[in-house]
Amino acid sequence: MISGDNDNTTLTREAVLLRSAELIDAIPTALTEYRCPLCGGIFSDFAALESHYAEEHPGAASPTTALLSLNGRLCKVLIEPHWTLQRTLQFRLGLTGAKHMCDRGVCGSCTVIMDGRPVLACTILTVECEGHNIQTVEGIAADPRWKPLVDAYCKWDAMQCGYCTPGFLVSAKSLLDRNPNPTEEECREALSGNICICGTYPRHSQAILEAALKIARGE
Amino acid sequence: MADLAGVNGQRENFRVVGKPNLPGKLSYALATGIAKFGIDYVVPGMLEAKFLRSPYANAKVLSVDTSKAWKIPGVVDILTWEDEDIKKLNSFGESFGPQRAWLDDLADQEGAEVAVIVVAENEDICEEALRALDVEWEILPHITDALDGAREDAPVIRPQVREAPTFGAPSPDGPKNPPKRGNVAYANMVSGDIEAGFAEADHIAEYDMYMPAFASHMPNPSGSVAWWFDDPYTSGDGQSLRIEGAVREKRAIANMYGLPVEKTVQEGLFMGGKYCDWGLRKSQEITPLLAKRTGRPVRCVNTREETFDQIMCQRYMHLRVGFKNDGMITAIDDVSIADGGSWGSSSFGNVGDLTQGPFNSVKCPNISQRMQIVDTNRGLMYVSGQHCPFNWDSATMAIYLIAEELGLDPLDVAKYNLHGPDSKEDPRPVRSFDECLEEGRRLMNWDHHKAGTKTLPDGRKHGASFRYQMCPRHSFSSYNSRLELREGRVHLPTQGPLFGVYAVECNAMVVAEELGLEYDDVSIDFDHREEFTPVGGGSDGTTASAWVTKECANILKKQILEAAADEAENPPPPNMHGPMGGPPGPNPLKGYKPEELDMEGGRIIVKADPSKGLKLGDAVHRSVVATYAGKPPMALWTFGMGLRLDTMNTAFCEVAVDEETGEVEILEFGVVADPGKIMRLTSLESQIDQVMYFSQGCQLLEDFVYDKKTGVRLNSNMIDYKKPTILDVPPVHREFLETRSGNAAYGANGISHSLANTHLVIIAIHNAIGVWVDPPATPDAVLRALGKA
Repeated sequence: MISGDNDNTTLTREAVLLRSAELIDAIPTALTEYRCPLCGGIFSDFAALESHYAEEHPGAASPTTALLSLNGRLCKVLIEPHWTLQRTLQFRLGLTGAKHMCDRGVCGSCTVIMDGRPVLACTILTVECEGHNIQTVEGIAADPRWKPLVDAYCKWDAMQCGYCTPGFLVSAKSLLDRNPNPTEEECREALSGNICICGTYPRHSQAILEAALKIARGE
Repeated sequence: MADLAGVNGQRENFRVVGKPNLPGKLSYALATGIAKFGIDYVVPGMLEAKFLRSPYANAKVLSVDTSKAWKIPGVVDILTWEDEDIKKLNSFGESFGPQRAWLDDLADQEGAEVAVIVVAENEDICEEALRALDVEWEILPHITDALDGAREDAPVIRPQVREAPTFGAPSPDGPKNPPKRGNVAYANMVSGDIEAGFAEADHIAEYDMYMPAFASHMPNPSGSVAWWFDDPYTSGDGQSLRIEGAVREKRAIANMYGLPVEKTVQEGLFMGGKYCDWGLRKSQEITPLLAKRTGRPVRCVNTREETFDQIMCQRYMHLRVGFKNDGMITAIDDVSIADGGSWGSSSFGNVGDLTQGPFNSVKCPNISQRMQIVDTNRGLMYVSGQHCPFNWDSATMAIYLIAEELGLDPLDVAKYNLHGPDSKEDPRPVRSFDECLEEGRRLMNWDHHKAGTKTLPDGRKHGASFRYQMCPRHSFSSYNSRLELREGRVHLPTQGPLFGVYAVECNAMVVAEELGLEYDDVSIDFDHREEFTPVGGGSDGTTASAWVTKECANILKKQILEAAADEAENPPPPNMHGPMGGPPGPNPLKGYKPEELDMEGGRIIVKADPSKGLKLGDAVHRSVVATYAGKPPMALWTFGMGLRLDTMNTAFCEVAVDEETGEVEILEFGVVADPGKIMRLTSLESQIDQVMYFSQGCQLLEDFVYDKKTGVRLNSNMIDYKKPTILDVPPVHREFLETRSGNAAYGANGISHSLANTHLVIIAIHNAIGVWVDPPATPDAVLRALGKA
């Protein structure tokens, strides 16, 4: 039986940045069990799961595996073919930074960086991600080079309820990758695919511009 | 100054309170995605659940055959409204409308949960099982527009009685509301003599407007995950419930399942943007039952389409205002036909809304607000929101209409009509209002012009508008606050949660201020077992809770100083588990009484000689706990329900309208607000931005669109339902005044609800082009109003 474990007790700056790194370290690189999504049966290898499907669930679309390059780590996941990257991150890899909001590529809350470009994890299938380098907000948070950006977001309250914020932060990082010295207008343009219900819009440019300066100075 | 009661209400020097750029205690978790919201929880062995949802706007389930669904591999449980477990459920969440079975065979809107719940290994199987149900529907007539529902020949879609509102009626002895007739209930509030007021008038202006509904739009779709577990930390029979995703409603869930609160565990701190939409959805309430039945964790999450409830229902408004040649209002008659929401869920007529608006600030005693509240099948509204009905802008409209008719500046009309601080008969100025008004005039370079008379160099028409509001923040709620000194550090324990107003941070700032500490010296301990949760209190996050925390901090301070004096005389014995008691060397506090000591810079010092002192942890070794239960003095506005005025705010809008394309650009918003005392500047600014963007969205972009024939809502998604993006929003210029007139700590007050508005942009558009445009003022609507489309 699962206990009432508390996983919200340490949410200070240092603890959160450390937790990001821990989450990345905890991403399993190999599959150790294969769970049937239809009946919950557990198998020791993929061939056994496929046999089980043929026998017990004939005609059903069988699960598949995908090899992902995520935050610098290679990991193999068991998924269903129609799963989006957002679902895989949340349901298989324990990464909750790509948030589910609009579910159809409008709000930007699930933004990740793929091969240097911001993409929406709710509209890209996991199986399409094989062979691409993906960076999530956890990967950005765990990278000391981006501490000025995270710090600036927190200093300037670039969040209220905070649900959409990781998506904004990923878009901001992607902007700074492409343009380390953006103007305010360029910040607004880069974040135009992210929707915030809480009205934090002016805060983001403020945070990005301050972070850009600090990063340029090597602070 | 008004209500600065309590300890240090008159404090003049602030080291911590008001300081900008102090990060929120949970900001790092939020920014990095570490923060887990309810729907983020994925636990081993978890099942998923889904409700049958109605494809019809109004229908009854006559029968359901679940046999085919049961045969689908992966289906674990199926419940119908006829199951005893379901019949026993009773919601304790916050909502309006007649009592009703928790789940039944009636679907009163398209997409409503009805009749069946399926539990399966995953969501896909749930969907497949729902498709496999044989459901026999009786399709009933539907209403998707309040005007249609109010017609004499409209089908009666719900026969229930709707209680008339009584809360805060301005004339409780006035005539009773007529009984409900057909789909229409009545909520009439009248004060003074309306007919006499119009007879006295030199002019009568009229105005008709349609106000669309707009969405609540919680960023995170509603849902929960729950499981039962053996809890070694809590006594009592049976397992404890762990539920994530119901957030503020832990007590409501405990009540629903007959559990002691301490056996209901909700550790998640993050609830997303719930700005007064507190109502629990069925997906947040059902998981404990399903987990109990299946013996496994169960997750139930709404889709985005299923998370499109209304924060404000549609309303047709007709306003008539009588006034004298000098601009003095003699009568206001505001008649509305408004959507009562599915199953009477609208807050119209339920929250004393009609008693607000023009009743509370203008000198004119003759005011009538009458509303027909019409049953429809449009959708649900939970409690109220940023645009709660007391922000109806009847007075704003009246002032603009008078200014247009008489060629006056609306700022002058407003000033002339506003009553004094204590009552409608009080002729004195309201300091906060006057200062906000004049500062706004300066901020906006205010230069009023008559409608349609100003053209910008680029050929577009220029329009400007203004409104004022009081800052009616609640101080009704009491709080239990607890503070603790432990091992030299002050702790502020709270259960959370966090929903975007940085309330607990404001409380920590107050504690630091009172105890001579820095913000980072105060530990905010999040613990679900704690009672204190600083939810209520307005945009500064603090109206009631920070006042309570201030009182508690001063009790703690007294106890700390007593402990320091005592330990100086009687050093504590050595602690075998920690450092030896007492400071090394002689204790500089020895010989001083508690009243001769103070706290400053993290030290206990001698008042007469601050060089004498000890670090907090060296001066006091014992744990010291202080508690305080209570609430601040009632806000002035509550006396007479808004007839007394303390802190005020003003808002301004400038637009440019292209008469060729119909495009409206908001050039800028301006807000001058008096929060009494600024507690936490950055979040205060953000909350003002938020309400201005809300106001922009509802007047320029947002509406629910229905297919009239089927009653199906066509735009329950974020593509077809437009919210402002970062490229849409204009600059918001903000100025703050600190009159210290509020009732919270140091005279602070909240402001954000009061700045939400439904008319500011629309008035500016009229001022630009001289014709009224019903919101949302999309380009096609503007062109239609101009007779060009």
